[in-house]
Amino acid sequence: MIEPLKVLIVEDEALLAMELESLVEEAGHSVVGWATSSAEARKAVDTTDADIAFVDIHLTDGPTGVDVARYIGERRKSMVVFMTANPKRIPDHFAGAIGVIAKPYTMNGLLSALRYLQEGVRRPPPKSARPAGFTLSPAFETVWAPTS
Amino acid sequence: MDWKRTRESADAWHMTDDLHVEHGKGDPFAAAIRATRMSMIITDPRQADNPIVFANDAFLRLTGYQRQEVLGRNCRFLQGPKTDKAAVEKLRKAVDGVVDTSIDILNYRKDGSTFWNALYISPVSNDRGELLFFFASQLDVSDRKRSERRITADKERFEKAVQERTQELEAALEARTTLLHEVDHRVKNNLQMIASLILMQRRTIKDEAARQSLTTTLERIEALSTMHRRLYQSKDVGRLDVSDFARDLISDLLTASGRTHINSKLDLEPVSISAEKATPVALIVNELVTNALKHAFSEQPDGTATGNIGIRMSQPDGHLNIEVSDDGVGMAGTVSETSFGMRLIKSLAKQLHAEIGWHDAAPGTKVVISIPNEPQHKENAS
Ligand SMILES: Nc1ncnc2c1ncn2[C@@H]1O[C@H](COP(=O)(O)OP(=O)(O)OP(=O)(O)O)[C@@H](O)[C@H]1O
Ligand SMILES: [Mg+2]
Repeated sequence: MIEPLKVLIVEDEALLAMELESLVEEAGHSVVGWATSSAEARKAVDTTDADIAFVDIHLTDGPTGVDVARYIGERRKSMVVFMTANPKRIPDHFAGAIGVIAKPYTMNGLLSALRYLQEGVRRPPPKSARPAGFTLSPAFETVWAPTS
Repeated sequence: MDWKRTRESADAWHMTDDLHVEHGKGDPFAAAIRATRMSMIITDPRQADNPIVFANDAFLRLTGYQRQEVLGRNCRFLQGPKTDKAAVEKLRKAVDGVVDTSIDILNYRKDGSTFWNALYISPVSNDRGELLFFFASQLDVSDRKRSERRITADKERFEKAVQERTQELEAALEARTTLLHEVDHRVKNNLQMIASLILMQRRTIKDEAARQSLTTTLERIEALSTMHRRLYQSKDVGRLDVSDFARDLISDLLTASGRTHINSKLDLEPVSISAEKATPVALIVNELVTNALKHAFSEQPDGTATGNIGIRMSQPDGHLNIEVSDDGVGMAGTVSETSFGMRLIKSLAKQLHAEIGWHDAAPGTKVVISIPNEPQHKENAS
């Protein structure tokens, strides 16, 4: 049994955050915080201890998700996965993030992504197949999915 | 030899006089040169500085000089400040090299006005190859030069206008694309919200039939989600490749069903369809695949079900053909007319002007849909 993940949710839509929290917990992981803006997110990053942060690009204070990802990356506390309906907003270097779960994801797509990320974070590289709708950043592509 | 040479030189001089005075009358060639509308001169390279020794009336008319003003002078008095130095240099080389040359050069009249001179110079030698004179003709081509310049200017203006218009259109296209992405972004967020609402509702329900019905609804919403996600990933947000959608859909439905003994067999050509067709196509494929998963395979005593689900997509001339097959229990020729799933499939097929048929695949079922689709090469379409 691989150790479950501690998840930070950075998402401005309450409904989506709520449902994401339920799915994460049903899958056996825990949610350590929820932030809706970049300021809240910074505070949550400093006060919690997450393994992974799901970060939406568009937050209540604008398209600040990439800044949040950079902030998390500088503190080297947790890993980042973007979760957005607008993946083209993500810079080519992904601000150090693992990749992106494109919205709208399916329930099964999210559960598969959680399994994949759990393996990738705890025992990299992940063994399961990369789920549809999940895209790795170029940097993680070379480590997690080298083309044999 | 010397004698001959002197004589010829003297003759050359005299010829000039003769042309004006006597010989011209008897010599039709000399008369023609004197009278032609083409400006002509002759210079003598054997005299110092190669002076003009003959000029016809057309030359005097063209340049505005009197005959005595030009005779004995080198032609360079025709040049002025705006005369191209390179053109002058080319002329000098031709004269030094004793070869003929033609060149367009800007010349000046006596009154200081300018004209474009299509100048032709050729050396004239005797039978022994000794250079005697240069013959030069001048043609005023100012009009031609003016229209050349006008054409160049017009062309530049036109190109600039085209470039400006292209930039405007590119900017408009970019704005349109950004707007489309923005709208699309909202559509996708809303699809995610709808799915979340259904999932939340389902959590509160104990009744298995009610839960199942919400699950079926969620599957339909998620088929649209998968299609919209693909639509946005394609370069052109107005089109998508349905084969990508089919791959995502079947892997999602198979893992969601948890039935690890059912395999998918995909035979997918890339088929591009427009965004309007995407929704009905996504829903039909979802109904057929979920039907196969739900109804085709009977469970073994150990609770597992084994079998294959196939999707084929091809595009023979102007059609999109989709085939969803299974090797399960089959439908025994009974295609329900009343159940909701079937009605949904048939209505959507009608919307797409598609033909749809259920076939006994022995074992299993094969459903074939043929949808009229526009030509695949975008360059040819629209
Ligand atoms: N691939 C298949 N193999 C065997 N039986 C099938 C298959 N597809 C459909 N059927 C039969 O046809 C019936 C009608 O299908 P239909 O999709 O309309 O309804 P449903 O799947 O039972 O419910 P829903 O309305 O939620 O889709 C099914 O109940 C099933 O008995
Ligand atoms: Mg059905």
